[in-house]
Amino acid sequence: MTVTPESFAQSLVFGLLVGALYGLAAAGLSLVFGVMKVLNVAHGDLLMLGGYGSFWLFTLYGVDPFVSLLIIGPALFVIGLALELALFRPLTRFDEETKIKNSLLIGFGLALVLENLAIRLWTADERGITTAYAGTVARLGAINLPLDRLGNLAVALAVIVGLHLFLTRTYLGKGIRATAEDWQAATLVGINVRRTYLIAFALGTALAGVAGTLVTVGFAVSPTIGLDWTLKALIVVVLAGLGSVFGTFVGGLLLGLGESLVTLIPNGGSYRELVGLVLFVVVLLVRPQGLFGRSR
Amino acid sequence: MLECRDLDVSYGDLQALWGVSLDVEAGEIVAMIGPNGAGKTTIMRTLAGLLTPTRGAISLEGRRVEREPGHRRVELGMALVPEGRRLFGTMTVLENLELGAYPGRARAERRGALEWVYGIFPILAERRRQLAGTLSGGQQQMVAIGRALMSRPRLLLLDEPSLGLAPVVVEAIFEVIRQINAEGVTVLLVEQNARAALRLATRGYVIENGRVVRHDRADTLLHDPNVREAYLGAVVGTAGTAVPPTVGEAPPPSPNNEGELAEPADGPPPLLGGEGGTT
Amino acid sequence: MIGTSRRVLAAWAVVVVVLAVVPLVAPRDDLLNLLFQVFLYVTLAASWNVLGGFAGQVNLGHAAFFGMGALVARIAWLGGWPLPLAFVAGAAAGVAIALVIGLPTFRLRGVYFSVGTLAVAEMLRITVTNTQPNISALPTSQLIGYALQPRYYVALVVAVCCVAVTYVLAHSRLGLGMVAVREDEDAAQATGVDALRHKIAALVISAFFAGLAGATFAYHDVSYYLYRPFSPLWTFDPLLAVFIGGVGTVVGPVIGAFFYVLVSELLAQQLVELHLIVFGVLFILVVLLLPGGLVEAWHRAQRLLSRPPAAVRYQPSGPGPTKR
Repeated sequence: MTVTPESFAQSLVFGLLVGALYGLAAAGLSLVFGVMKVLNVAHGDLLMLGGYGSFWLFTLYGVDPFVSLLIIGPALFVIGLALELALFRPLTRFDEETKIKNSLLIGFGLALVLENLAIRLWTADERGITTAYAGTVARLGAINLPLDRLGNLAVALAVIVGLHLFLTRTYLGKGIRATAEDWQAATLVGINVRRTYLIAFALGTALAGVAGTLVTVGFAVSPTIGLDWTLKALIVVVLAGLGSVFGTFVGGLLLGLGESLVTLIPNGGSYRELVGLVLFVVVLLVRPQGLFGRSR
Repeated sequence: MLECRDLDVSYGDLQALWGVSLDVEAGEIVAMIGPNGAGKTTIMRTLAGLLTPTRGAISLEGRRVEREPGHRRVELGMALVPEGRRLFGTMTVLENLELGAYPGRARAERRGALEWVYGIFPILAERRRQLAGTLSGGQQQMVAIGRALMSRPRLLLLDEPSLGLAPVVVEAIFEVIRQINAEGVTVLLVEQNARAALRLATRGYVIENGRVVRHDRADTLLHDPNVREAYLGAVVGTAGTAVPPTVGEAPPPSPNNEGELAEPADGPPPLLGGEGGTT
Repeated sequence: MIGTSRRVLAAWAVVVVVLAVVPLVAPRDDLLNLLFQVFLYVTLAASWNVLGGFAGQVNLGHAAFFGMGALVARIAWLGGWPLPLAFVAGAAAGVAIALVIGLPTFRLRGVYFSVGTLAVAEMLRITVTNTQPNISALPTSQLIGYALQPRYYVALVVAVCCVAVTYVLAHSRLGLGMVAVREDEDAAQATGVDALRHKIAALVISAFFAGLAGATFAYHDVSYYLYRPFSPLWTFDPLLAVFIGGVGTVVGPVIGAFFYVLVSELLAQQLVELHLIVFGVLFILVVLLLPGGLVEAWHRAQRLLSRPPAAVRYQPSGPGPTKR
């Protein structure tokens, strides 16, 4: 396959579009991990739930996926509340290391249940949302930009900016950051740490749901995408480090770009998935705080 | 204002406090002194709600609080300035202060509180946009105290405010504590610098090996020969040497005075020949 | 658990004998295949348990050891090596890949270690999928003489050896050291237990038997994609079995594996994905409520049934330093 400047550029743009979704997916995981120090391996499956939600809203009621976000976001937020109370809050009675290990396991159990529930309810078939305007393509020179993918990018950017503003400009947001930095000091200034955990988790779940909708528009949703997306989000979280929403987003873009570049190499296509994994292990070993994180 | 009765506190299987009882009357400054690892920080953390006693009661203004979560105690009028300051280093001075007024009522009145804190620590007003992590030790201590004051506590707990600070700064901090107390805030103070603490305080408690071994008026303790020998003027760790006390001198900062475990005191022997009970 | 009673050991022996006799008494293919699955899972679960249960290092890359064992053993065996040698090669391959994975990832702690092992195992899987995309089918010469019985016995022997080793390990100093590392690595290190050495020992034992399990699989399966044994399912299913049975115990993985395979078989008749949902829920319940799994449930039931009246139970004598 010869690489022309056009196909190269197209590839990069595609990488950015995917990367934006990686970044959004990672933002939710990063929030939960940063605040609660808990790695929710079911994050990708929550994303999958959001995707299915949008799919069915679209298929059954004709709701435009971007509009459905107004329903999916809050719905997944509520689901997040329920999950935190039922599954992760009981872990707080354990000591730190056990808590982290058990949360990994709980997340795994949850992922298993969600995935197979989805298979039972909706079959293992892939589903995608093709809106009326999906065929419309904007052109930037020789590069094709499908409208629905652009919509994804716009939404992802908007959500990221919104999240950033929330965390830096509101009391609740600053309280979340303070809890992430030092939960004991947070308690001492009157922050209800348990409630902060609850909100952070619910927010992370909502973010996953939103990302899921975008994934269904841009690609497809099926019950088995959960683990893949959890891994992708995790790779970005480790790559970017904790503590910066924009950093996480950029990390996602970098991953998307990296994967695209690899596909340009002859026979590189099948090794696309390796990019993230290799980056992941290398960063963990060489610079564990990530590209943008604070070194502890 | 504050009443503790028979507090037992353990870190897992390891008991750190035995039957600690103490009182703080409104308007007082009460000091807690004692060797490293005696349990003073443990007491503070228990009062603030970071630890739950296995036995005993804590009452704040007549209200039982030992089962209340920490953040509730802030709403009830008690704030702790923790050992090591524990600022939110990635946030600005102003943000740290504002977080001090997180609970609803405090948040509504935060402008007034901020004025007050800036009045006490003018330099914080100057540096309010600076990241808290980039301040000097003394300035960080000011932020820490200011942050606690933002919730307008009626009882202020201070754990080792002089730790790691130069003597001049320590004097300034203590002057501030005196000033705050004059404005009506009751103070409970843990201090390595026993001399300065006892000179500031109305009453004092001596804590050793997780127990209250002595409590009396501060000036009585200041002139008590045993206390003088043990805590006033002697460098931490050298048992029994009575070095003539020098005014306003802080002992050298001790490494990692977390007080996490009730280690055997390698300083002076218990004043009252207590039951021993070293862990 | 000092000195397991003779009764328990005798019970184990009886179970093994019964299992050994099955092919002679009831030589039905479906039964033998089912039990083969059980033995395979027992080995996978018990071997995972050494690193994940005894040493407390949750390894999410177990499939890599299994996969390498299967790959190397299959290639060796079909390449003409005598079977025992192929098995040894498989086990060795498992250990080799484990060291390659383990030595860097052991520098990571807790959840980073777990996801690190998963990442590397996935990397291996993708690489193998790309470089060995073919089905490996037994040549006609092997197909003609294919008999289930020897496969059955090999799997049984491997499982018994694995469990026996875990039993010995659990009663050894090495095993005690691993538990110390699990409980508190820093404290263990401070009291003279070389944490890294113990983790590596656990890793090697774990990978050795996982590799053997892989070789067993390669010996048994007639035709399969060479990359299939690298699927993370071969990590997650034994993981479920271990926790449901009772992580960190000797008998837990065994019970868990039996439970897992048999219940899967039962439910798979009815509704296909139901068994995984059930196991997922059980798993969550175990982690939250019953960390010792079925083993703990059994012990609790025993105590409930044989418990003396509350008044007779020992009470610690009054206040004072609480030391154990």
